[in-house]
Amino acid sequence: MVTTVESFFANLCEIGHVATFERESATIRFDIKEPAEREQAHNADKVERWYVTVADGRVNMTRQDRPADAIVHVSRPDFEAMATGRLNAQAAFLRGLLTVEGKVAALVMFQRCLPGPPGSTGRVAPISSKTVTAQRRDT
Amino acid sequence: MTGGLVQILEGNTFVVSDDRGDIEASAVDPTGLFSFDTRFLSRWVLTVNGERLTALSTDDLQYFQARFFLVPGISTVYVNATMTVIRQREVADGFHEELRVLNHDARPVDLAIRIDAGSDFADLFEVKDALKKRGTYETRATGGNLVLSYRRETYVRETWIGSSEPAEVDENGLMYTVTIPPHGEWSTVLDVVASAGPAEILPGGHPGTAGRRRVRRNMARGLEKWLERAPDLRCDWEPLEQIYRRCLTDLAALRFSTMTMPGRSLPAAGLPWFMTIFGRDSIFTSLQALPFTSELAATTLRALAERQGTRIDDFRDEDPGRILHEMRYGELTAFEERPHSPYYGSADATALFVILLDEYERWTGDHRLVRDLEQPARAALCWIDKYADLQDNGYVSYQRRDTTTGLENQCWKDSWDSISYRNGDLPGFPRATCELQGYAYDAKVRAARLARLVWRDDALADQLEREAAGLKRRFNRDFWVQDGEYFAVALDADGRQVDSLTSNNGHLLWSGIVDKSKARAVARHLLGPRLFSGWGVRTLAESEARYNPIGYHTGAVWPFDNSFIAWGLRRYGFKEEAARIVAGVLEAAEIFAGRLPEAFGGYPRDLTRYPVEYPTACSPQAWSTGAPLLLLRVALGLEPEGEHLLVDPAMPKRIGHLELLDLPGRWKQIDAFGRGRIDTEREDSRASKPSRRGGPSRHGAAASRSRGSGASG
Repeated sequence: MVTTVESFFANLCEIGHVATFERESATIRFDIKEPAEREQAHNADKVERWYVTVADGRVNMTRQDRPADAIVHVSRPDFEAMATGRLNAQAAFLRGLLTVEGKVAALVMFQRCLPGPPGSTGRVAPISSKTVTAQRRDT
Repeated sequence: MTGGLVQILEGNTFVVSDDRGDIEASAVDPTGLFSFDTRFLSRWVLTVNGERLTALSTDDLQYFQARFFLVPGISTVYVNATMTVIRQREVADGFHEELRVLNHDARPVDLAIRIDAGSDFADLFEVKDALKKRGTYETRATGGNLVLSYRRETYVRETWIGSSEPAEVDENGLMYTVTIPPHGEWSTVLDVVASAGPAEILPGGHPGTAGRRRVRRNMARGLEKWLERAPDLRCDWEPLEQIYRRCLTDLAALRFSTMTMPGRSLPAAGLPWFMTIFGRDSIFTSLQALPFTSELAATTLRALAERQGTRIDDFRDEDPGRILHEMRYGELTAFEERPHSPYYGSADATALFVILLDEYERWTGDHRLVRDLEQPARAALCWIDKYADLQDNGYVSYQRRDTTTGLENQCWKDSWDSISYRNGDLPGFPRATCELQGYAYDAKVRAARLARLVWRDDALADQLEREAAGLKRRFNRDFWVQDGEYFAVALDADGRQVDSLTSNNGHLLWSGIVDKSKARAVARHLLGPRLFSGWGVRTLAESEARYNPIGYHTGAVWPFDNSFIAWGLRRYGFKEEAARIVAGVLEAAEIFAGRLPEAFGGYPRDLTRYPVEYPTACSPQAWSTGAPLLLLRVALGLEPEGEHLLVDPAMPKRIGHLELLDLPGRWKQIDAFGRGRIDTEREDSRASKPSRRGGPSRHGAAASRSRGSGASG
């Protein structure tokens, strides 16, 4: 499954109202950059600009310039990895894969709408008392 | 100070050095300059003419400031010391060090003063586990500055070292060649800046000393203001004044600001290794401190809501609505080798979040925050029913989903052997520990109140109350150990009782889930010889197979645990029993000079006479710091009721007369008074009848000052 930047933002707007964004308002600008190799081959400094506006839970997206509370710089593959749950946004931030100008809080809010890692089910098989006690006796 | 080490800190930046101010860390040695869970200096050693120095004295001036008086040489006899070296160090976003060398001789001296500097850029987790680094190091000596740098892919951390006096800078440090005139002095100012990312993107590049001084002044003023704003305590028993002051100062040091809410503080879990948000610890400490300051609670609630879980992530044990367990910023977290970005493996923080929100409203009347956090609170309640009920039996239980990095026990007793049957066997997973059910019950009851009062959703309130009543009924049936007359510590994966007797029973009283008819038996156990040591309630009863007086969660006494147990006893009217715990823990605090350790040994009090400290790396620990504050609340019987604060003292005799002046809250400010009347030294292990005498006195305004009548049991 490849979620492109376009389809990710389109989906978000389709949902329209996101419960976890209720009573939150912010505009975040995403500067999404082509990876370095492709950039040299085709289009130098190609940066796509997306604006996501949250107003009390309602989400809208536009490509038109407007003031933003935070500007997020990130490469296209890294953004796509986040949009498909393969990269954790906070980890990416700590690693320097994405940088934020302005309010970090806006990014922290935004990451709440990113999906979990593919394959996470939330359930594991129970373990019996016998197994636990035996394991602890071995170690 | 721990074991000859000096630690100073601000936020999540801290320095641990020896008593000379030197840092010589090995891979596993916990000294250094740390910021955001990364060691930015592992070597910082001062020599004069090639010689190390000896400490004459070391002062912790403030929690963020220390001063070292040194003389050259490492002999133990200070003969012919004609020179003094003074290092004064303050923490900011790195540290600032003034180095002064005083020549006491009648002749000039020529000196080679050198600071060796280096960094291993270890993640705190690596310091604990001695792991190998994967990135590369680089050192640059440029423009009189020394820059230490570490890079792994796009992850960059740098340490800048600058000096006000010109120095010869090489890859291993800074060197000054100076002549000091007779009775003269030489000094320099060293600035060390810890930088996430390449240092050149810092605004202003090299740090200006004027800015640093401003930061420092603000910190000093911040501490003064913090202490000024706190209620005044006056007491016949002097140690209590000292304990109170120590708690406030330590709580100030434990304040931590997140990147998203600069200028607002929440309590971090402990110094120095746990200077980060822990859901459980931050919530419990905020609850303990609420009568004295509500700021910590407000910031904790907002910060936790901001990071509330929204998806299923097995690596992080994240679910929608779950409140985080621990947040970290180091390299291993950055590369997803550890799950702390944040990690959600806590089964209690989510219910405790709702409990704190309600308790916060009771004290402050701040409806705005309650409205702002309506969605997070609803999501938390949904987590309890939908995601925490792993066995579809209506109980909250836990089981980690990543067996390499996840936490095995996701309750406050989080060591591997904390939950056991009487015979010492360990239960399987999932585990439904009892206090989790108590917290879930209380969260529902309290959320119902908020739903009626603030969210204007009576249907939700009715539903929550119905669920709470059902949970209470089932719990009192399923967890009650008939032959022992107490609540089992857990239900195992087969729904069988994990039947050991533990301090968790006290948290059940606090939550209100205990049937009135069972409360007396529970109180009798808590103050009985198997659980009560004389200083406090043991985590595990003496009679159980895994009992060990110095077992972390299998016999040790935790001040934090006891503060909530005392609150629980008061909730059910056991004033005398609560007072005995208040007395025991505060008397222990007196022995520890006001700073309670995380835990102390469960030895009987008449055996050791002094509480035996459990050796832990962190001191002060937030919820130990908060314990005396909550015990004061319990002793005075402070309870918000509408726009009023009820005061109903039931205090140990020893405390004598106690005044708490200017308690903040929705009533603006109120004074509370009490007199100790309960003889807690009387040998009586039997639980008394809940006291109904000496009803609460109502203080509607600051002007109404009456001595509350202490209940005599």
